[in-house]
Amino acid sequence: MSHYELLLAHIGTVLHLQYLVPLIAGTVAGVIGGALPGVTITMTVIMVLPFTFGLDPLQGLAAMIGVYVGGSAGGSITASLIGIPGTPSAVATIFDGFPMTKKGEAGRSIWVGVWSALIGGALGGIFLIELTGPFASLALEFGPWEFFSLFIFALTMVAGLVGKSVTKGLLSGIIGLVVTVVGPDPIMGVQRFTLGIHELEGGFPFLPVLIGIFAFAQLMPDVETIGTSAQPAVDPNKKVSLKVSHLSVLWDIVCRPFMLLWVTFIGIVIGVLPAIGGSAANIMAYDQAKKFSRRPEKFGTGIPEGIVASEASNSANVAGSLMMIMAFGIPGDAVTAVMMGALTMHGIQPGPLFISQHPKIAYGIYAAYLVALPLMVAVIWAGSRAWIRIITMPKSMLIPIVLVLCVIGAYALSNSMNGVYVLALFCVIGYAMVKARIPLAPLIIGVVLGDQIEANLIQAVATDANPWLFLTRPISGGLLLASVASIAFAVWQHRRENRRLAKAAEEEVDTDF
Amino acid sequence: MTLSRDGVVGFICLALSLAMLILTWGLPPAVLVPIGPAFYPRVVVSVMALLSVLLIVFDISAGRARADAPTAPSPPANYRLVLATFVEFGLYVALLPLIGFRLSTFLFVVALQITLEWPGSKTRWLLVLLIGVATSLICHFVFEDYLSVLLPRGTWSGL
Repeated sequence: MSHYELLLAHIGTVLHLQYLVPLIAGTVAGVIGGALPGVTITMTVIMVLPFTFGLDPLQGLAAMIGVYVGGSAGGSITASLIGIPGTPSAVATIFDGFPMTKKGEAGRSIWVGVWSALIGGALGGIFLIELTGPFASLALEFGPWEFFSLFIFALTMVAGLVGKSVTKGLLSGIIGLVVTVVGPDPIMGVQRFTLGIHELEGGFPFLPVLIGIFAFAQLMPDVETIGTSAQPAVDPNKKVSLKVSHLSVLWDIVCRPFMLLWVTFIGIVIGVLPAIGGSAANIMAYDQAKKFSRRPEKFGTGIPEGIVASEASNSANVAGSLMMIMAFGIPGDAVTAVMMGALTMHGIQPGPLFISQHPKIAYGIYAAYLVALPLMVAVIWAGSRAWIRIITMPKSMLIPIVLVLCVIGAYALSNSMNGVYVLALFCVIGYAMVKARIPLAPLIIGVVLGDQIEANLIQAVATDANPWLFLTRPISGGLLLASVASIAFAVWQHRRENRRLAKAAEEEVDTDF
Repeated sequence: MTLSRDGVVGFICLALSLAMLILTWGLPPAVLVPIGPAFYPRVVVSVMALLSVLLIVFDISAGRARADAPTAPSPPANYRLVLATFVEFGLYVALLPLIGFRLSTFLFVVALQITLEWPGSKTRWLLVLLIGVATSLICHFVFEDYLSVLLPRGTWSGL
């Protein structure tokens, strides 16, 4: 069977009720989770995770892909309607989406975002389907030296690019690696840092760590604002008309094809880069669209280009992230990190051999992604009357339910309370990290890649004890050089930003006097 | 010398990394491969110690500038609710193996809803109770009966 015959066959498979029901449920959950301010796509995929334990791997992945695709578009609903991003990946949608709503074009604002997400996602899908195989073939050429260097590069890049301090980013990544050294070592099985606690003898299970880190880190900032003036007030009874001509909306999007392709490309590239994710893609794409526009002064006043740039790149970013776990086994962001955890739970290791060893699941992922895009549009259309009510659901009702689902997810992994205790421990650590302004993404990447970094290091040294091979093998050396360059670039970027802020502050003082 | 939260974090991480570094000396040497079970953790915790020191140094050097600069007002935060949420979540985790999923989940969902927002009317009280019962029973039905995921049983309650 050819590549496309396989794809068509798997689209047919995904359209069977057995897979379609989880995909629809995931898309609905994703759109709602994405639309709820304060509930991110990561949080939604964590909530959906326990429901996938009793399903077969493709059913579970279909549900998670539905969440990912639906959530990416769902965030734009809140951004456009009330000017609050449903998810960090919809921040740039506010710049033009909310002004458009204030001009009385709420329907146009939402649907430009939704159709852009569909088109950007479909273009990203072509990339995913066409390039995952070649990238995986490239990764097959890698030895343990190259994988070690690639994982180090992924870690340093994330650590350098997220947050406001490179030192804190790197520290967060290292804390992630420290989490993975607790438990048995990969060669001799010697227990490390367990302090005689039997429950730690298997190490910290990855998914409860991830759920714990994100659960309180994302929910507690919302709890902090309950009953304070910082809590946004939105009237759930406010009547907003979402009627719009879909043809004119589609014309708004496709009448600037080069911009559409460029922002989609940016989304894909950001998705491929480890753990940067949609939160960076939408801002960068918006900035690029503004720079290349013939009317940059109109950006921020409620023009469709701003929404197209943000949403198309955001949706295409999903395809890039999916490609990274399928080809290299590196999560593009926290959502794909959870997916990776779910796959390993079923005994499937994502990486270069993934497509050849599990073609049904690989093509199933492509198919689920392609089917999820039109489903996302249908879900948003069907629920259009309910959005304003859903996005104003009280936090006091939502937070307890989210926490219960987190506990179920942690418990059901091994049917023991160990997972729940790990979850509780990392809830505290996650919130402490938020208060210390330490970024969470590097920690997650560290936890995901820690075991593999150690295993590849040992394999490399066991094959040839010469440590210089890490530098003298061209790909490995290049990746390590790129790691150093990414840190140097991040330091330079942060210093430049600090100088700019200091200069701005000085000018402000001069004006006062 | 004044330390901000960065400096405090630096000291905590430094203490943790030094403690872990000491623990690595108790690990056995390698038999099959050139590097043993202690090698990688030593590298990782050493890098952690180095980054912690950097964080402390940067924080101390930034201390003078921080003292001179006007402080921006921080947004209001309700830390009492945060503490209450942590305590209730801790109690929920502690009660799960004792009274089982259904009962502890009902109590937790109801208690946390009341803590986060006091129900001002009878309708609201009814809604709070309804959400508690529904979360507990729907989760139990969906996970145990449909998805074959076993949920915690209570050693005290038998539920």
